[in-house]
Amino acid sequence: MSRGAGRLTFVARKAGWALLTLAFILAVNFFLFRIMPGDPAALLARSQRLSPEALAAQRAEFGLDQPLLAQFVTYMRETVSGNLGVSLVSGLDVTQLIVSRLWPTILLLGVGTALAAGIGVIGGIRGGWRRGSSFDSGSLYTSLVLYSTPEGWLGMLLLLTFAGFLGWFPAGGFRSSADGGPVDVLQHLALPVLALSLGYVGQYLLVMRSSMIEVKSMPYIALARAKGLTDPDVRRRHALPNAVLPIFTLVVLSAGFILGGAIVIETVFSWPGLGLLTYEAINTLDYPVLQGVFLVSSGAVIFTAFLADITYGLLDPRVRSA
Amino acid sequence: MGRGNFGRWRSRAALGVAVAAVAMTGGLATATSAQAEGGTTLTIGTTVAIDNPNIWAVNSTTEWESVTLQYDMMLKFSDEDLSAAPSLATGCEPNADFRVWTCSIRDDVKWSDGTPLTAKDIAFTYQFVIDHGFGYFTSYFPKGSTFETPDDYTLVWTTPKPMRGPQLPPWVYIVPEHIWAPYADKPNKEIKQASMFPTVASGPYVMTAADPGQSWTFERNPNFWGEAPHYDTIVYRLYTNQEAMVQALKSGEIQIAENLESSLLPALESIPNVAVQRVTADTWINLAFNFGGQGPDSNPLPALQDLQVRKAIAMAIDKQAIVDKVYLGAGAPGETIVRPLSVYWHLDIPDDQVIPYDPAAANAMLDEAGYPMGPDGIRLDPATGQPLILRLPTSNDTPGSEAAGRMIASFLEQVGIKAEVQPVSAGKVYDMQQSGDFDAYIWYWSGDPDPNYQLSVFTSDQCGDLSDGCWKDATYDALYAQQGEEMNQDARLALVKQAQQYVYDQVPAIVIAYPNSIAAYRTDLVTGIVPVPAGDGYLTPMYSYTSLVTATPVGAEEATDNGGDSASTPAETDSDSAGSDQAAGQEASADTGSGGGIPAWVWIVVIVAIVLVVAFVVIRRRPAAADRPDSE
Amino acid sequence: MTNLTWTRRRRAAAATWSAFRRDRRGMLGLCILVVFTTAALLSYVVVEPTDLDPALAPGLPTQSPSVTPPLGTDQFGRALLDLLLVGTRVSLTVGIAATLGAVLLGAAMGILAGFYAGRPIGSVLTALTDWFLVIPWLVLAIVLAAILGPTLLNVIIVIAVTSWALTARLVRAQTLSIREQPYIERARALGASNARLLTRHILPEVAPVITAQGVLTVAVAILSETTLALLGLGDPNSMSWGRIIEEAFQAGAMSNGYWWWILPPGICVVLVTVAFSLVGYALEEIVDPRLRGVR
Repeated sequence: MSRGAGRLTFVARKAGWALLTLAFILAVNFFLFRIMPGDPAALLARSQRLSPEALAAQRAEFGLDQPLLAQFVTYMRETVSGNLGVSLVSGLDVTQLIVSRLWPTILLLGVGTALAAGIGVIGGIRGGWRRGSSFDSGSLYTSLVLYSTPEGWLGMLLLLTFAGFLGWFPAGGFRSSADGGPVDVLQHLALPVLALSLGYVGQYLLVMRSSMIEVKSMPYIALARAKGLTDPDVRRRHALPNAVLPIFTLVVLSAGFILGGAIVIETVFSWPGLGLLTYEAINTLDYPVLQGVFLVSSGAVIFTAFLADITYGLLDPRVRSA
Repeated sequence: MGRGNFGRWRSRAALGVAVAAVAMTGGLATATSAQAEGGTTLTIGTTVAIDNPNIWAVNSTTEWESVTLQYDMMLKFSDEDLSAAPSLATGCEPNADFRVWTCSIRDDVKWSDGTPLTAKDIAFTYQFVIDHGFGYFTSYFPKGSTFETPDDYTLVWTTPKPMRGPQLPPWVYIVPEHIWAPYADKPNKEIKQASMFPTVASGPYVMTAADPGQSWTFERNPNFWGEAPHYDTIVYRLYTNQEAMVQALKSGEIQIAENLESSLLPALESIPNVAVQRVTADTWINLAFNFGGQGPDSNPLPALQDLQVRKAIAMAIDKQAIVDKVYLGAGAPGETIVRPLSVYWHLDIPDDQVIPYDPAAANAMLDEAGYPMGPDGIRLDPATGQPLILRLPTSNDTPGSEAAGRMIASFLEQVGIKAEVQPVSAGKVYDMQQSGDFDAYIWYWSGDPDPNYQLSVFTSDQCGDLSDGCWKDATYDALYAQQGEEMNQDARLALVKQAQQYVYDQVPAIVIAYPNSIAAYRTDLVTGIVPVPAGDGYLTPMYSYTSLVTATPVGAEEATDNGGDSASTPAETDSDSAGSDQAAGQEASADTGSGGGIPAWVWIVVIVAIVLVVAFVVIRRRPAAADRPDSE
Repeated sequence: MTNLTWTRRRRAAAATWSAFRRDRRGMLGLCILVVFTTAALLSYVVVEPTDLDPALAPGLPTQSPSVTPPLGTDQFGRALLDLLLVGTRVSLTVGIAATLGAVLLGAAMGILAGFYAGRPIGSVLTALTDWFLVIPWLVLAIVLAAILGPTLLNVIIVIAVTSWALTARLVRAQTLSIREQPYIERARALGASNARLLTRHILPEVAPVITAQGVLTVAVAILSETTLALLGLGDPNSMSWGRIIEEAFQAGAMSNGYWWWILPPGICVVLVTVAFSLVGYALEEIVDPRLRGVR
């Protein structure tokens, strides 16, 4: 009975925390982008050669002629009821915009993270278990070098070698035409995913490796060895499950970082995802789009962190009291 | 033991599901599209997206192209020099006092859905625009415009004051009344979100599909009233960076590339079978001086009020060098404020009257004007005792502005003026323009074929709105007003040229350069394009759809000319690109509507898969935990 | 008492150095850093201001490498070697300065959050840290860059603001464990004030972790600056490596085949980042007692 109550308070506490964070993000969202210099209506007016009256009408349409506080209240009210507003530049519904761009980013980050995590984990296990071996040194240096490579630069090099010089892959985009099949998408996905994975595999490998090293020094490993278990068995049954926990957290958390990782890759590869949407919206000061994307991505991070905390906590009672 | 095995089975299942879900992405995402058919496709690469295909939300350059491709105007921009030419209207006649214009409309035009186009559609469109205040379009209708249609093929446009009206011509696309009438009472927000595929229009192509952030597909309008185009399908593809677009041109993924920057000229010119089109500038790079008076933060250098100083600065700048180094020769040194693409209105200063690049003369001029050289090589303003230091922001939405700014700073150093280049965002430049917190900035102007807008920017009452530096000159204001009221085209032309000359002489701003727009196309894949305006005009429909109507697949042209002795047929014209499986023959099909639309159940599957994978890892942990000693 | 403490600290420092010297990877990193620092200092001597001026640069535009110029030129005729040397200066400066800011802020926040954990102020600080971890750094960086304007100082501020949270988190964890140590209890029983506890006891214990983390943060800071510059948000008046790459990119370097323009700056970034990481990891191993002795 007390165990159940303990679990419940834990979940409730974490949930409350997550909601509070979300509320803070909502507020920051609004003000953060308004501090940026410039006036979206005026920028639009310049590119469309509007007369001053038309500009004033445009501003009213955007609701920008209201006092800031009134705009904030409207924003909070609408966001809470699910209305993310309308793009200042294109007039499209922001929710729809985000939904249409969400999938390419998830695909890119999902496959890229899975690949990076998979390779990183395998490499890190082997390297960490046999520390100092040539494999370990080799993989360590490779990871370090990859981790230290600027994503955008790497992406450019890949693009121009494999798409430009060799012509093996298309030079960007999500698919060739609206009825491109899965093979078409995969062809377009290959280079961006490669760029992304190469950038992150180092991280996973290093974390897995150090985790493995740490676990290997634990007394129970010696105990398992003393019990007579073979090395591979010791590794698989005792070291691995404990060592892999940080990776688990890392992967689940990565699932939430929809934005930062994607902007650069998406820009280089013309990948029509959220990152690119953000980048374009920043240049045009499209507040509703920026607020919407920011909200979605922060929300995703908060949610997955919450999820990670919960599952971790539900499984490991010691964590619950922390 | 049993649990361990179970864990393994579950993990395999989870992974299998995850992989399958990922692999099905493409197929599911395109479940709504039909199968490809035969036909010729022209693919155009661009770096600017069509965010919203709705005609009333038109904003980006590619969106303008898309609309120009699909719709007609009552009078169009002539293919020769962008002056008004017959289109839906065969002609328009004013009455004696230019307050009533009567236009005769063609009787053989049909909408793409078969409905006949009449003057009522035109009247409806104009009224719709006025009622809803669609900023860009309303500027063509003087206050109090009314429209009547005494019969189906006559439009009468009446205004309280004399106007040029149709002469401009009004850059307003005609939409079908029977489609848009239901939206007449709706709020603008809703109108701008209306989405219809295919669009109903009168031009040679209509939009049939949109893949947001990716590509937009247009197909031939079977009811088009003009000369039939040669391509069945036109596709615009978005590339976020130039390099990728050039690669795509190389591989034949696209046949035309637009919005290219001059930095890629060497690469383009080295690709075989690629022709480069250097389009005469329709924008110009502006070094605008600040005259102050915007507000409390406005504090420009007082010396800028002195015409001699501004003239000296103009003489100190080697515009040709900027064109050569920054724009790699793709452009011309700037002169007057009406861009050269407006062939009819642009004033070309004769070579012997151009302000020359002459730093020695500039130095002499400044010496004479009484600005002594200071100890560190910077001249001093005798009135304030302060050195001549210019804060020179450059806007990041103007290609080459920063490099040009640096070169200008270096030129000005030669005449004893120090310039501090500050590259900033366009938003920041806008703030500076409003507050007056700068000395001179580098931005760009682009205008309409009609010079009225461009000229208006330099008038006194645009201070606080469009005016760059709040230059106030009564003579100029009078000239501007005069050309606005002059109904006679020739007389007006003289006034417009006079206004340009005056600005050139008074130097409130320096036109640094007329950078070319650069486009390129594969000569072995597409041919016959007639640029608009003629000669160094656009390959893509910026002002007219003629260029794409005349575009012909290589091979098809020979087939029709020589009675079919050539080996290739229209369907074979396209790419040999390795690694991509789209061919010329494939058509994008009818509606995909929202591009990446994934049904809900895919989401559920993916989430379940992730949860299962996570659970797998967790379950694997349990047996090991049981083995561990309880301490810690 | 003080003398003893200093002797103890000096001996610890000497021990750290000899341990570090034995770490081959750490030494490799250090060597690379020495080379680059020398290059940065050299740039003050070798490079004239006119060499960097787009209008006045002596070389011919976009020359490929040969005897002179050894690394070719960019579109304005500026020698790549000059640009890279100056870039070393800028990138190192930004990296270190931003890290100082991030580490100072992070350490302060982390120590306070850990020390006062369980009390309201501690929870607030922890929450603040978590919030900064949650915000997507690149978006925040882009927005801050747009607000503040692209000067070098602002870039440093932006990177510091987006990087401090990780250090804070680690320092907080470390502080929490130190807090429970018996000697802290004893000092408190002897009447030490909070300030004294923080400065005399906790800070020195946390310092090694901060240092190790700091070195690693420099690597991240340099990468961040490169990313910002690639996106066009860096200081356009200073020639960091990221900026060189961005200019090369804008000028169509790869399509035009100017490989000497786009490859070397990226390679420099990689080398320096790897170097800082190697040194940082070596320090981390020395500092973290659990990893020591497991060679």
